[in-house]
Amino acid sequence: MSAVLRMAEVTRVHGEGATEVHALRSVSFAAHPGELVAVMGPSGSGKSTLLTLAGGLDGPTSGVVSVEGVDLAGVGAAGRARMRRTSIGYVFQDFNLIPALTAVENVALPLELDGVRSRTARAGARAALEEVGIADLADRFPDHMSGGQQQRVAIARAVVGDRRLILADEPTGALDSETGESILRLLRARCDAGAAGVLVTHEARHAAWADRVVFLRDGVVIDETGADHADALLDAGRIR
Amino acid sequence: MSALASWRLALRLARRDAMRHRGRSVLVLVMIALPVLAVTAADVVIATQEVSGVESLDRRLGAADALVEVPAGGAPMLQAFDPYDGSTSADGVPADHEPPAAAEVSDVLGGVRLLERRQGDVYLRTDDGVAYVWATEVDLRDPLTRGLFDLGSGRWPADSSEVVVNREVRDQGYAVGDRLDLVGDDAPAPIVVGIAESTTSRTMPVVAGPIGSLGIEPSEWSGPAWLAAGGDVSWAEVEELNALGATALSRAVLADPPPDSEAPEEIRAWSSGTDDAMVAAIVLIVVMALLEVVLLAGPAFAVTARRQARTLALMASAGGTPAQSRRAIIGGGVVLGTVAALLGVALGIGAGRLLVPVVQHWSGEWFGPFDVPWLHLLGIALFGLVSAVLASVVPAWIASRQDVVAVLSGRRADTRPSLRSPILGVVLIGVGVAGSAYGATSGSSGEFAIAASAVVAVLGMILLVPVVVAGVARLAGRLPLSPRYAARDAARHRTRTVPAVAAVAATVAGVVALGIAVTSDEAENEGTYQAMLPMGDGAVTAYDLTPPQWRDLHGAVAAKVPDADVVLVDGLVESTSMAEPDARSYYLETRAPGVPRHQPLLSMMATTFGSSVLVDDDMPEIVRGVSDAGRRRGDAALAEGRVVVFTDRPVDADRVVLRPSWSTMDDSGNLPRATVPATYVPIDRSEASASLVIPPAVIDRLDLPHAPVALAVSGGRITPEQEEAVTEAVQAVTNDGGFYVERGYQADDETVIVQLVLAGLGGVLMLGGTLTATFLALSDARPDLATLSAVGASPRRRRWIAASYALVIGVVGAVLGAAVGFIPGIAVTYPLTRGWDPEVEAHYLDVPWLMILGVVVALPLVTAALVALFARSRLPLVARVD
Ligand SMILES: Nc1ncnc2c1ncn2[C@@H]1O[C@H](COP(=O)(O)OP(=O)(O)O)[C@@H](O)[C@H]1O
Ligand SMILES: [Mg+2]
Repeated sequence: MSAVLRMAEVTRVHGEGATEVHALRSVSFAAHPGELVAVMGPSGSGKSTLLTLAGGLDGPTSGVVSVEGVDLAGVGAAGRARMRRTSIGYVFQDFNLIPALTAVENVALPLELDGVRSRTARAGARAALEEVGIADLADRFPDHMSGGQQQRVAIARAVVGDRRLILADEPTGALDSETGESILRLLRARCDAGAAGVLVTHEARHAAWADRVVFLRDGVVIDETGADHADALLDAGRIR
Repeated sequence: MSALASWRLALRLARRDAMRHRGRSVLVLVMIALPVLAVTAADVVIATQEVSGVESLDRRLGAADALVEVPAGGAPMLQAFDPYDGSTSADGVPADHEPPAAAEVSDVLGGVRLLERRQGDVYLRTDDGVAYVWATEVDLRDPLTRGLFDLGSGRWPADSSEVVVNREVRDQGYAVGDRLDLVGDDAPAPIVVGIAESTTSRTMPVVAGPIGSLGIEPSEWSGPAWLAAGGDVSWAEVEELNALGATALSRAVLADPPPDSEAPEEIRAWSSGTDDAMVAAIVLIVVMALLEVVLLAGPAFAVTARRQARTLALMASAGGTPAQSRRAIIGGGVVLGTVAALLGVALGIGAGRLLVPVVQHWSGEWFGPFDVPWLHLLGIALFGLVSAVLASVVPAWIASRQDVVAVLSGRRADTRPSLRSPILGVVLIGVGVAGSAYGATSGSSGEFAIAASAVVAVLGMILLVPVVVAGVARLAGRLPLSPRYAARDAARHRTRTVPAVAAVAATVAGVVALGIAVTSDEAENEGTYQAMLPMGDGAVTAYDLTPPQWRDLHGAVAAKVPDADVVLVDGLVESTSMAEPDARSYYLETRAPGVPRHQPLLSMMATTFGSSVLVDDDMPEIVRGVSDAGRRRGDAALAEGRVVVFTDRPVDADRVVLRPSWSTMDDSGNLPRATVPATYVPIDRSEASASLVIPPAVIDRLDLPHAPVALAVSGGRITPEQEEAVTEAVQAVTNDGGFYVERGYQADDETVIVQLVLAGLGGVLMLGGTLTATFLALSDARPDLATLSAVGASPRRRRWIAASYALVIGVVGAVLGAAVGFIPGIAVTYPLTRGWDPEVEAHYLDVPWLMILGVVVALPLVTAALVALFARSRLPLVARVD
């Protein structure tokens, strides 16, 4: 089956000269439908950078990032924005809900931004909220919700509109462990339903939810476990 | 920690914070420094343009120590220290008092030398006709006159056959070596020997020469005058001169004036008459301006306060007091206010310096030396500082009472609005309405009551803004994403939004109120306009022409307007030329037998044709407002030798009592009264241009003089070109006449200009308020914009949100402001259009809907469009946010 996310020989360098930082060095990586991949590594190892590149929020210094077969570098800023509305869903550590919008409006955002009629968008958003189990909170503002509830809203927003790639950057970091587990269960369920998920975490026990774990250090993939272990190691080790 | 030390700490923190957040600091600086700059520049220009007492001495006195004038025929005088600030003849003039002669004046001043000076106007024939020229006769070679005129080219006149003229006269066709062609039978004809400018007047035509060169005779009103040399003239000496019947402008008195109590009481009472209203108006303007500046600068402080919320909450959790929290914010107001005030004053002085030559170009008078009124500027700078501090007070207060737990747990919104302030707001608006109603119905000082209650109403409105903004957010659910976000976000950050909305609202309120006032005033002008003649007809009047001259003029005018009827109008000589003080003018009082004296036969009449008593054998065509039947009756009556009396009341009589009287400039007397047969003809008083028509035989029998008084031009729509040609023809034979053409009501250009200026000013202030709030909102919204980007918003979305923000602030402010502006606007039309006649119930109200629509709808849209156009379309990245 073809990969939803494919990164090939991706390098990202921040700054130049003396302040040059290699956040990622020649990383190759893929996530397939139905697969939840955990990315682990110490702080500063390049995990978040990998996700921003995968989501098209930032571009690689070299290498290719493609989502559902589309090279993100080739579609322009507007095209990448459209991809984020229709194909890629983001979940952040600190939820990043918009406080001026209600839960259902936050979830409906990608649809509304994509030009879906407001009523239809809200219906879709309510369905997504139902899926994450907080349909009754649809009209609340984020300020009046707990952290776990907010993260559920964020997940609903990441999956609404049947997006096939879900990128979660330490989604449980700001939650207690029990709430965190329930969030991961939601992610797992979404992947089982056919999406590809990338979960950045630094807690080993969260990696248990993943089909496969990629280890990063100093911007380099140093190890990989799970199903396609051998292939992935080969991929990562083939340095040109 | 002592309060002083705590303040020092607060100021140091504020200074650092201001340096760190340059954008916000610059915003506050601009908001406060700009008005300070504008007022400073205006003040500097005004101070420079004003030639104050001492500055003006050289141009008024030359090198002399005093100027002594005899302004009232020798009656004893009372004067202010500067006689031009006020002088009047004292009561109890001795009948046989002689004007003082030069020798007497010189005696009072200790035998000083006097140089005679005469002033007046003369008429000069130029290429275009006749020009009025301000003339001075004085020996310009005398060193005492140094400073009165500046010789540009040529030389000073040596004797009374020579004069100098200024550039203005030269531009009208006279060069050095030419002979001046002065109007008047035995006017002198001096030769121009130099071009010299008056040091006072810049654009008025001016001529000067020795005594006798221009034929100015001292008259009762402008009696003899002398420049005096020979030492300081004291206030005691001035008073002595006053007793003699002279006023004196003394260099020594003006340079070092005696205490105010020395000035005559009558004069003092005079000069302080209007001060109260003036002070009230200035206070009002300053309060409104302060309010506006505070509101414009407020949002920036609100953002500062919220950005520091975490620090302040940490301070509070570590035992800091609310007062310390407040100081941290107000410190910012002090720092930025001081810098803005100094910057504004400094730049304002520079701008004033640059503006002086520009303004001088538009002014007819020479300005004084560049003048910086430091005391005023201190006040203006203080105004800037105070407005910055005031702008920081509310945010500081809110910050000091914030919910520490909410802040530390990262919630970003403001606290809920209290219910008390909107209630107070409603009460204040009520007071404003009541005050306006009182002002509208009360008599004299109504305008002031209305203006004061307008300020109260605006303050009340400001208290309502938070509720309205919250209400708009609640209703925003159905709006598309960008306006919905903008409305909700605006309501969440009320401390930032409310002052901006209030600034827009206060501006719009002022614009709407003034707009209604101006337009209604104009409606009154139009509504009370009375046409003197049928449209396009005209009337030539003059007071000093002989019958042959009238006949010549008749021919000349008829030639200029070939398709019109030009009729010579004969009438009782009711007015004479000022130039002939001995000529008699006549007045005819008319009364119907049996009608009480206090009921005039005609309650209203406008003399259009030089006399209210026309002399003719039949009803003159030019008399309007009479029915055909009335006209036939009038014709019949005149044919029978009866007098036709126009009236607008029912009169049952067939005779009229005529009481003639005469007067000259300084004498008058009654003539024998007569009762003659008369026919009363009803006339529409608004069209009445004469009160009676007398057949020539009758007026001759009464021994009253009649002569041509006017030319009536009718029946051929007079074009502007013809009007100009006729006016020139009239001016060629007399400078005491004119040509009036009925053009109907002419809308004042000024009204339109005032409306445009109002809308423009409103636009600028609205743009200022909206842009501040939008800019601050966008910088506050960075996390939200980053999130939007992450979920797939295109970069253009930022523009939409910015424009929506501007639209929310602009529309809410404009609607609120327009609503409040109607209160004083409508109220002020009552005192404004009441008219002069207390008997007549007059009121005009005209609302400039187009302008209001422009301000309420078009301006916010334009502002939003501008914001959309200039907002950056780039969304921040999540990765960069934290
Ligand atoms: N915008 C940026 N500019 C400069 N350096 C950056 C930027 N973003 C990330 N980095 C650097 O790149 C490296 C990887 O960062 P990041 O991907 O955030 O790591 P992680 O999420 O694993 O903690 C770090 O050294 C970080 O300092
Ligand atoms: Mg990270």
